[in-house]
Amino acid sequence: MTTSQRWQRILIVLGCAVIAYAVLAPLTSLDGAQALNLPLLTDKLWFRLATITAMFVVMATAWNIIGGLTGYAAFGNVAFFGIGAYTTGMLIAKAKWPFLLALPLAPVAAAIFAVLVGLPLLRLRGHYFAVASLGVGVAVGELVQNLDYRGEPIFGGASGLFMPIFAVPNRDLYFFYLMLGAAGVSIAVTWAVIRSRFGYGLIAIRENEEAAAVIGVNTTAYKVAAFALAAALTGLAGGIFAQWNVFIDQENSFPIAYNVEMILMALLGGTGTVFGPAAGAVVLQLLIQFLSGSLPITLDLPFVPEDAMPVLAQVVLGVLLALVVIFAPRGVIDFFGGRSRLTVAYLRRSLRETSI
Amino acid sequence: MTPQLDLRNVTKRFGGVAAVDGVTFSIAKGEILGVIGPNGAGKTTLLNCISGVYRLDGGDIRWHGVSIAGLARLGVGRTFQIVKPFGSMTVRENVAVGALFGSDSERPPLRAAFDRADSVLELVGLRMKADLPVSALTIPDRKRLEVARAVATRPKLLLLDEVMAGLNNVEIDDALEMVRAVHETGVTVVLIEHVMRVIVGVCERVIVLDLGRTLADGQPDVVLRDERVIQAYLGERYARRLRGG
Amino acid sequence: MAAEPLLHIKGLTAGFAAGPVLFGINVDIAQGELVALVGANGAGKSTLLGTLSGLVRASAGRIAFSGRDITNQRPEAIVMAGLAHVPQGRRLFDTMSVEKNLRLGAYARRDGNIDAELRNVLEYFPALKDKLNREARTLSGGEQQMVAIGRGLMARPKLLMVDELSLGLAPKIVDRLIDVVKEINTAGTALLLVEQDVLVALDVAQRAYVLENGRIVLAGAAADVKDDPNIRKAYLGL
Repeated sequence: MTTSQRWQRILIVLGCAVIAYAVLAPLTSLDGAQALNLPLLTDKLWFRLATITAMFVVMATAWNIIGGLTGYAAFGNVAFFGIGAYTTGMLIAKAKWPFLLALPLAPVAAAIFAVLVGLPLLRLRGHYFAVASLGVGVAVGELVQNLDYRGEPIFGGASGLFMPIFAVPNRDLYFFYLMLGAAGVSIAVTWAVIRSRFGYGLIAIRENEEAAAVIGVNTTAYKVAAFALAAALTGLAGGIFAQWNVFIDQENSFPIAYNVEMILMALLGGTGTVFGPAAGAVVLQLLIQFLSGSLPITLDLPFVPEDAMPVLAQVVLGVLLALVVIFAPRGVIDFFGGRSRLTVAYLRRSLRETSI
Repeated sequence: MTPQLDLRNVTKRFGGVAAVDGVTFSIAKGEILGVIGPNGAGKTTLLNCISGVYRLDGGDIRWHGVSIAGLARLGVGRTFQIVKPFGSMTVRENVAVGALFGSDSERPPLRAAFDRADSVLELVGLRMKADLPVSALTIPDRKRLEVARAVATRPKLLLLDEVMAGLNNVEIDDALEMVRAVHETGVTVVLIEHVMRVIVGVCERVIVLDLGRTLADGQPDVVLRDERVIQAYLGERYARRLRGG
Repeated sequence: MAAEPLLHIKGLTAGFAAGPVLFGINVDIAQGELVALVGANGAGKSTLLGTLSGLVRASAGRIAFSGRDITNQRPEAIVMAGLAHVPQGRRLFDTMSVEKNLRLGAYARRDGNIDAELRNVLEYFPALKDKLNREARTLSGGEQQMVAIGRGLMARPKLLMVDELSLGLAPKIVDRLIDVVKEINTAGTALLLVEQDVLVALDVAQRAYVLENGRIVLAGAAADVKDDPNIRKAYLGL
């Protein structure tokens, strides 16, 4: 067995173990399980971290569809998260809809927005598209916070939007499974896309858009569809988040940092693969939580004060993004595919080599 | 008999300059036609007009008698001078994508597309290399791949844009065999070329464009001896070589 | 060769991360010589030029130019030593004017006779005289090739290397350019022509090398190479 095959086996086993743990461990918190004297594997903190991780699995996997498969690196996808959150939030808080009826509208609203914004935006290429999508992402967040109607903020303004708590037994477990379900849907959708005609068309667009167009791929339709699909999934995560968190505002629904994080997760895990972004999301989320001091184990750095830790986390992420792009652009696969690229010689060579 | 493609007075301007100026000719189904001419003569512009990339400023293009001015995707396949393969896919996948899409309404299932890819690879001589990544192909093979992918789209008319550039004589002869094989499946072929070996080797008819206009239209051995063509394009030394052998 | 060669390559091995492309290359070019380098696609011709001009890393062997060792030197240093490279496909600065493109060819020079050099180059390519202010990408293929060669000349090289001069050009234009190449050579500049069109190259060169799969398989007077039966079969299809 080659090295990469061995590593693949290990990763698959590891992945299955993590999934099994994630799915089964919450069950120990049920009254029925406690009655059987099963050890309590989860607590409030566990559920919070696990739900956030699942949320990022959805976002990273969704981003992969437009960024990884189609090659359009969108830098503003958090807009769809926020749109999903506020769609569900507004329907629950203002229109008094029940949660489960409001939730499906989150992906729909996000997708519609993606189509409207995508049609002009997706004409741009490369860095132009990246910057423009970032601009849109930031703008949406600002609009939602600041739009007023007759003096009153439409979406709750700076004080945000409160929702009634969703009354359901074992609420933490319920929302975790819901978010996990969304993650499962994301992965299943990616799996279906990659082996379909649609998926081949997207990859063709990524590899050479002009050639794709000339052989008959409707590039505009496909790009917009990929964008809308990514938006819908991201919006779904936002919708679940809204009710789970009970409170939404610009800061927690449109955090700019999410844009970089979801991209980094997809890159680290391996864009263009089915499970790559999910794996990247889990690993990176653990790292982020660790650096922010949210985990039971914390890091005490000598010259860094407690409250500077979140900022440090951002710095580390930025550096990590640069390193990943330089040394492992195809994600973790690059390390397990044989030759490791993590050498100074590689860096020097890739900086020096020019195409003739 | 209605020609397959009929160009009448086709004109395309870019900012006041007519890149193609009143070009008129027809192509019969199943012909192999060569198009030659100096750079800037309008060859690629003409190609883009035929494949629907450009809207015409004047004149008409008829496909089996029906005007198609501006319509893309109706059975025209084209290759590019600088090949544009899908780098992260294998050879077979590249061609299969051509079969999956293509310019008619047929939407084959994945299985059928891959089968078609295999038969096209056989046709162009890349069968042995089907599972290789594109990066492992030599330049002549990449050109074959480019042609294969275009053929997989089931075109009725295939436009080859300087596909022989950079190949030496032996490589050209191999490529010509491929063009003949493709032609025999019933595809009309139009080649834009600077390499006379191709024109002489495989074209039944050649059109010479100069400054957006047709300078000559006829059989290769006649056209290539035409004084005006020698003046405008071939140059004396080349003409001597062609005549002398 | 009685005098020391201008360019002396010994045992050169070079390539990319994926592996070497050139194996043990030995080439000599004398002052003022016109040498052709022919070979199939992928044989390594462009890689060789790139190695000479410092773009590709040599892993073994030695390149001496005017007596100095230039192996793996920085490209700017190599240009300043008098070796200029006209790359395949022209590679002009598309949105810059013809004049800017040409002047940039003299970027490495410190002697300040650039205006005189420009006039000199325009004597070789009078067709460019009225196009100096046009954007390079608006020129025809042949004119672009003239600018590319002119840009190389602006460095006042002792050896000018031209990669695939004839690529995508009409036969008449190729003829004209070859005539200019002869003029350049007559004026004293040595030239290394890498060419796909073997006949064109062998007609104008004094000596030729044939490169196959990264190795030199034949070297000699151009006329001899042209008459070689293996060459005729493999490259001329005769």
